[in-house]
Amino acid sequence: MWRRHLLIAPVVLFLIVLLIVPYVNMVRMSFLVKPPGERYLNVFTLDNYARVLRDGFYWRILANTVWYAVLTTALTLLLGYPLAYAIARAPNRRRPLLLMLLIAPLLVGVVIRAYGWLILLGRVGLVNQLLRYAGRQPVELMYNVTGMTIGLVHVFMPFMALSIAGALQNISPDVERAARSLGASPWKTFWRVTWPLSLPGVFAGMLLVFVLAVSSYVIPILLGGNNVLVIPMLVVQLLLDAFNWPVGSALAMVFFGLTAVVLWGYVKLMNRALRWSLR
Amino acid sequence: MASIRLHELTKRFGRVVAVNRLSLQIQEGELITLLGPSGCGKTTTLRIIGGFEHPDGGEVFFGDRAVTALPPERRDTGIVFQNYALFPHLTVNENVAFGLDVRGVPRAEIAARVAAILDKVQLGGLGGRYPHQLSGGQQQRTALARALVINPQVLLLDEPLANLDAKLREEMRFYIRHLQREFGITTVYVTHDQAEAMVLADRIVVLRDGVLQQLGAPDELYRRPRSAWVADFIGLSNFIRGTAAAQNGRVTVRTAVGTFETSGGAAGDGARDVLVVLRPEALHFGGGHPNRLAGVVRERAFLGNLLDYRIECAPDLTLRVQADPSRRYEPGERVELSFAAGDAWTVPAADPA
Amino acid sequence: MSEGRSPLFVAVVVVLYAFLLAPIVIIVLAAFNAGEYLRFPPDGLSIRWFVKFAQSGPFVRAFVFSLQLAAATTILATVLGGMAAFYVVRHAGRFRDTLRLLVVSPLQLPAILTGIALLLFFYGTGLGTRGMRALLLGHTLVCLPYVFLTISTVLVGFDRSLEEAARSLGAGPLTTFRRVTLPLIKGGVISGALFAFITSFDQFPISLLLVSVGNTTLPLQLFDYLRFSFDPTAAAVSTVSVLMSVAIVLIIHRLVGLESIAWGGPR
Repeated sequence: MWRRHLLIAPVVLFLIVLLIVPYVNMVRMSFLVKPPGERYLNVFTLDNYARVLRDGFYWRILANTVWYAVLTTALTLLLGYPLAYAIARAPNRRRPLLLMLLIAPLLVGVVIRAYGWLILLGRVGLVNQLLRYAGRQPVELMYNVTGMTIGLVHVFMPFMALSIAGALQNISPDVERAARSLGASPWKTFWRVTWPLSLPGVFAGMLLVFVLAVSSYVIPILLGGNNVLVIPMLVVQLLLDAFNWPVGSALAMVFFGLTAVVLWGYVKLMNRALRWSLR
Repeated sequence: MASIRLHELTKRFGRVVAVNRLSLQIQEGELITLLGPSGCGKTTTLRIIGGFEHPDGGEVFFGDRAVTALPPERRDTGIVFQNYALFPHLTVNENVAFGLDVRGVPRAEIAARVAAILDKVQLGGLGGRYPHQLSGGQQQRTALARALVINPQVLLLDEPLANLDAKLREEMRFYIRHLQREFGITTVYVTHDQAEAMVLADRIVVLRDGVLQQLGAPDELYRRPRSAWVADFIGLSNFIRGTAAAQNGRVTVRTAVGTFETSGGAAGDGARDVLVVLRPEALHFGGGHPNRLAGVVRERAFLGNLLDYRIECAPDLTLRVQADPSRRYEPGERVELSFAAGDAWTVPAADPA
Repeated sequence: MSEGRSPLFVAVVVVLYAFLLAPIVIIVLAAFNAGEYLRFPPDGLSIRWFVKFAQSGPFVRAFVFSLQLAAATTILATVLGGMAAFYVVRHAGRFRDTLRLLVVSPLQLPAILTGIALLLFFYGTGLGTRGMRALLLGHTLVCLPYVFLTISTVLVGFDRSLEEAARSLGAGPLTTFRRVTLPLIKGGVISGALFAFITSFDQFPISLLLVSVGNTTLPLQLFDYLRFSFDPTAAAVSTVSVLMSVAIVLIIHRLVGLESIAWGGPR
């Protein structure tokens, strides 16, 4: 039955040509010489990496980018957990509605959502108009780290909530009932039973949100304005504005390479913490 | 209608041999059941006959026609699955019409044949319903109608009653038997329920680990099992270990609790180490039969029409006895038991498998 | 659980949902507001910004282009993703996990990085990014996993004995697919296609890098517009887009149920 393999052949070909080859090509690009006035020269060099790694500026931006992502991840966890709990423990009738309200924002474009925040929290936004109407001083909520963080949390919270809700959904309510029957208060039951059992979802959600947040581009540029700089913005600038493909590629490789190493360590640690969940 | 012949059928899944050199001849119009515990290869055998699995070795014949290489749609079989596999997006009528429709049968004829078969399975008037609107028994009869309406050469049933409750299952056994007789269709019926196999089958094929253990009519399997495993699998059995000796044409077995005359079996075929097989209803209280032994009542349970005793005859021998409740024996009571030579069968002590 | 019903917890959840929905609701309000700014107190209802949107050449062109791009992407991604789902669920054998990982990987890799890689690739090969081709291929790449996952989910739950029943009744493989398999997985296929459509329609980072002169997508047009002005025309445009998203969520919910895709999918 060799003919059934025809089903997968086009997809594999498509992914090789449009995913694997371009990524390999980008790695190659990061090792090429960038002469003035030309895009690149087919000559091997390590200079691009040296330039990126020696420059304190890049390291500062890198640290900022990671910090924003960590902050976003922590906040989405804090806010996403109650949402997830509400959805997972909702009566069957109400759960679809709660889910729909969580997923619908996910399907609205990022640009549109950022725009919504500008209307709400911008300098002439609704909140500041309300403040002015009440005779108070306006506050700067947009075009800074605060604005960007609000936007990032808003965009990624549904991912966190879905991941956690999936884990909570798998916990049998009987386990919680058993804890209560053994004398644990609701609060104790949560911390001793529910929370540890939901950790697989929590860790998966954190991983997902961190990856998405650290590589996000639209929200920082729209809501951070000129006051925020993150690596993805820098990479796009290098590529599109400065036309420096080799250095841009090298910066992208260093950044995402470091991220990948951090994540690899994270996954190792989590797997150790979650050994009980392995079957 | 066609007879079915399986020749040296073998099927492996990785390292597991699901069916091991199975040969079998099924007569035209016969209903045979493939019986065995789960994982014995019975469903795999059925799927090979239906064309859903390709055997690693061996051949399948319908009549004189080799069908081993044919895809399912060209075998002309009707099949009823355990979960019925009714098409959820089609009504009862459309489900039953499906096989005729893909064969290009004219519309008017389809309508007539569907109506006729639905009447036959007592589903007349339910043709417009969707499967989820039917009860379990109705779904089951729809599946039967769908399989039978195409007048298949062979009918394959894969544990068709497993999803019904006990009472309905009981009824459906007789109903399927009745329908099968009426259509006179060669039928292979897979089940793990020995009572079901007993009621339904002309002959039973007992399978274990893909190997045929015994093939025969239900009463033959019950009365003359070929091995301790078959005796144990079909019905309840007591086993008494002993040594066989042939004495002037009679087969006697010497055991720790006495020497017994038996009707034959392994001991008659020359084996020395044998087990005497005694069904619980073959043992009687009192000394009315030639083979006698004594014991102490240990437990008694009420089964409705029978009392079920466990009687200790020796430290390592407890016999199960089922007797009518007219005379009750109390736990702790010493009793004498006896049985007729004709009710005692022997099997080899060593299990070949 | 008693926690789930405590008033404090309910209040927290309501506030969180308000936070989630606020920016979207506010856009719709701004679009129907008569004034240049959403002010307090508001200026009254009007559809003037929708009229302005309909009369704005760049927005209409971008809207139409995005629709075309999303439609083409949907077709390509659904065909490729559907084939991959069938193969991976049913035939892949010991390569199943590797193939699943490969097909889903565009979802795991940062879109901006994929966009950069594609940009360098299209220029490096001399194909360039003129016309819709580069965008179409890039969008298909990132939409493929959605179709694949959605169709995989319905296929995993699909009862193969239905197909076997059809085969035993005399239907060949193609007839069986057309008359039994396809009608039963239709909901999953349409849901996957709708996911692909909306993902393509809203796609930003890949579009930003692969867009060519003369063609711009709606999110890019909005992005450019918002850097310089806050005219509620953008709100009207966004409202139309939001309504599309809401409609798609509702259709998918009707077809396969949101729960099955929220956490029922193959992991």
